[in-house]
Amino acid sequence: MSQHTREGSITSDHIKVTKRHGNSFRDKLYLPAIYDGVKVTFKHLFKNLNNINDIETLRYPEEQPTDITQRWRGLHRLTHRADNSIACVACFMCSTACPSNCIFIEATQRQDGKDEKMPASFFIDTLECIFCGYCVEACPCDAIRMDTGIFSLTGNKREDFVMNKEQLLSHKGAFAEEISCARN
Amino acid sequence: MSEMIDIIVDSQSYKVQNGSLLIDLLIKEKIKVPYFCYHESLGADGNCRMCMVEIEGQKRPQIACDTFIKPGMIIRSKGENIEKVRTDILELELINHPVDCPICDQAGECSLQEFYMEYGLHDSKISISEKVKHSKHLDLGSNVMLDQERCVLCARCTRFTDKITYTHELGIIGRGDEAKVTTMPGRKLDNPYAMNVVDLCPVGALTSKDFRFAQRVWFLQTVDSICHGCAKGCNIYIDHNKIKYQDDVIYRFRPRRNDNVNGFFICDAGRLSYKQLQENRLESAILNGEKITQMQAIAKAKELLAKHKENITVVIDANLYTEEIEAILAFAKELNAKVCSPKEVYRDESFKDDMLRSSNRAANYKTIERLNIDTKEPDSSSLILNFNHPQDFEATSVINFLTHNRLSLGLSLPIAAYSENEGTLTNEDGFTQKCEKAIFKNVPIPTIIEHLIRLRR
Repeated sequence: MSQHTREGSITSDHIKVTKRHGNSFRDKLYLPAIYDGVKVTFKHLFKNLNNINDIETLRYPEEQPTDITQRWRGLHRLTHRADNSIACVACFMCSTACPSNCIFIEATQRQDGKDEKMPASFFIDTLECIFCGYCVEACPCDAIRMDTGIFSLTGNKREDFVMNKEQLLSHKGAFAEEISCARN
Repeated sequence: MSEMIDIIVDSQSYKVQNGSLLIDLLIKEKIKVPYFCYHESLGADGNCRMCMVEIEGQKRPQIACDTFIKPGMIIRSKGENIEKVRTDILELELINHPVDCPICDQAGECSLQEFYMEYGLHDSKISISEKVKHSKHLDLGSNVMLDQERCVLCARCTRFTDKITYTHELGIIGRGDEAKVTTMPGRKLDNPYAMNVVDLCPVGALTSKDFRFAQRVWFLQTVDSICHGCAKGCNIYIDHNKIKYQDDVIYRFRPRRNDNVNGFFICDAGRLSYKQLQENRLESAILNGEKITQMQAIAKAKELLAKHKENITVVIDANLYTEEIEAILAFAKELNAKVCSPKEVYRDESFKDDMLRSSNRAANYKTIERLNIDTKEPDSSSLILNFNHPQDFEATSVINFLTHNRLSLGLSLPIAAYSENEGTLTNEDGFTQKCEKAIFKNVPIPTIIEHLIRLRR
């Protein structure tokens, strides 16, 4: 019933008509389009056959990729302060922003007078993580980053993929400085 | 009583009592007006200056919390002028604010945050390093933490200790930038209602030590309930959260406004009673100290009921919901059992005061009286069915239905606590109030009514 009334309320000036492509005789034959596609494939085939050493493949894992850029999202790390203590203040912004709810934090009182709050434990379940980078965006303290360049993570059991605070702190940044820009 | 008059707010007419406070009308009619210092229980103080409105005929904007309504008033609560005034006052409030929302427990339920998003959104003209520094995380006593930098000096907390508890522990000392809330020299905040200042504080200056860093408030789910600490039946909110892969946990109780019962406040004992509620729960059935399954326990209970056909006594806890008590009464009638609910154990004269605390520490005692249940100790019986009554009784056989672990012989079956169940309670003044079900455990513990259904099968 509601659907009916909604349709009834739509008038012709609300509808944007987009011109459809592919109605010409040439398009309906399909053969010219197939020819165009195969032409590209064969162009690459002959180009590579001519110069077999220039093919861009990698003999992984002996060869490691060299084209990981600074903005590529790798495994997470927790940054440090100038005195090598943790930069994170356990504000839970990352776990709030996380769409897969894979960040588990427990907060506690910080004793060294730098801040009031710090994480007692900080876990990221990398099996649940979708590497979207929202945690990095949300962090007000530049305490979590994904600039480690680590792209492959291996383990023997599921628990190996749940990163704890110490593991995350031990990851080194591949590009930028070690120390948080916002907390020192 | 003074007569009802018409006034106009934002070109709409309202009927109000002559001489009442303008801000009360704005709050009642849900007309948006920011304020820190005004609170319905503490009255107007007029120090925060946030609740500015334009009154036709007055040269300057006036504060709504100290304006008495007069006939023919025309008031504007919106508009460019008034919003500019609010933004400027908010900027003044925020001059020395440390902006440490990430580590502030109030974040998410903070008036400063809300008003900044609504009226502020300005850039600060003061850098963090230039701001006046005060003490942070001072322990005031009674589970209250003070952060003097976050304070907006609304004086709600000092007025609470002056006007509500009459204990006068808190005061504001210093002037200008140096003004700060503190306790009187050598004194701690020490009264049975002290933690209400945490709820009163509109910002993160006063926070609860008990809830400190436990959860961010936006993760919490809120359910209406009634405190089971005494027969007063104070209205509360249960704030709970089920963290992924963990069980549902209560993080705090907060007072819920009910002018008929508790007003705005609850006592600290009731507020912290969520801990006892969750600790040391009986989760599996126990027979003479050994764990058994629920099925075995029900079978054993049926066996005992069949064995002792005569001379059964049912003991009922006066904290159970009315629905549960009535179900137990019906069950006892089928068994031809005597019913009692010994009342001496609930008397606690030391708990009583003239505010909210009652010497009767059973939340549903009125219902026990209404249903004419015997309040004397049970006579010697061959089988006693104890429905969570705090006392232990001597009998040939005992079946206990308990929420919490207790050293008792015989058969014990776990039952759901009040937070895991819903029902009604009648407080000592005769108000019948409903508790909602707050906690959904991963492995639910059966309620009394579910147990009774199984026992009948």
